[in-house]
Amino acid sequence: MPEEKKMFEELDPILHSQLRLSIVSILMSVDEANFNFIKDETQATSGNLSIQIKKLKDAGYIEVKKTFKNNYPNTSLSITRKGIEAFENYVNNLKNYINPK
Amino acid sequence: MNNSTLTPEQSLLLITKTIEETKERFKENGHILVFWGVLILIVIGSQFILSVLELYKFTMYPVYLYPLVGGVYMIYIWIKEKKKNKPKTMIGNLLGNIGWIIGMNLLTMGFFCSGQLGEAMAPVFIILLAFMSIVCGLSINFKPLTIGGILVNLIGLGTFFLDRDYHGFSMMLGAVVGLIIPGILLNYARRKENV
Repeated sequence: MPEEKKMFEELDPILHSQLRLSIVSILMSVDEANFNFIKDETQATSGNLSIQIKKLKDAGYIEVKKTFKNNYPNTSLSITRKGIEAFENYVNNLKNYINPK
Repeated sequence: MNNSTLTPEQSLLLITKTIEETKERFKENGHILVFWGVLILIVIGSQFILSVLELYKFTMYPVYLYPLVGGVYMIYIWIKEKKKNKPKTMIGNLLGNIGWIIGMNLLTMGFFCSGQLGEAMAPVFIILLAFMSIVCGLSINFKPLTIGGILVNLIGLGTFFLDRDYHGFSMMLGAVVGLIIPGILLNYARRKENV
């Protein structure tokens, strides 16, 4: 167990959560997605999703834009340059763990 | 979905699955290609029938179906898509913009520059159509559309050497090869994936 803990220490804790990783993976595939789309894709609750989005936003990994669409609030999310770099580092680290050189 | 942490294998699997599923969901479907292909066939076919019936003064009227039917249908599709929660994708934006730009140019050339273009109008139309099919095919990685586009490009170049009487047939052949057949194949491929 301690070894396993040590093994995961280098993985970005912001991304190393199932829901946050899903959000970032979706945003890596599109330019921009709205809150409802991500909610449908991840099957997460609105409350939980909002909390995880805030964590990603605070880390500077995603950008959140709040606008109105047909008189309804519309929250659009997109990944930032910092988020892309963090995601790429995370994937590289994962690959190193799975296939150590 | 919860906030649990994952093993590296699970994380990689989740990333791959999520990205693949999101991309698959937004693969373009072929109904717009089939629609435009059929519309071109109807317009050119109607012009041919009117010419055979020697109703020459009416041969221009079918062309108005492009803005009236085609334009209205595309605006309907655009409004419908805007209402969905569909996210923006780079390829989706690129294809949409190319479609609008080429479509507007084709209409402008057809209605206002036909005199200047003269006999080159049909080949230029066909080559622009081919360009759109090739770019779309390469962008969505769908070989039948790319190959169809290349064939239409060749048809377009060949049309320069044909008598003007046969230009309509070239356009109809281009619509079948570059739009209708790839569109049907694309719809078939999408349906097969969704099974």
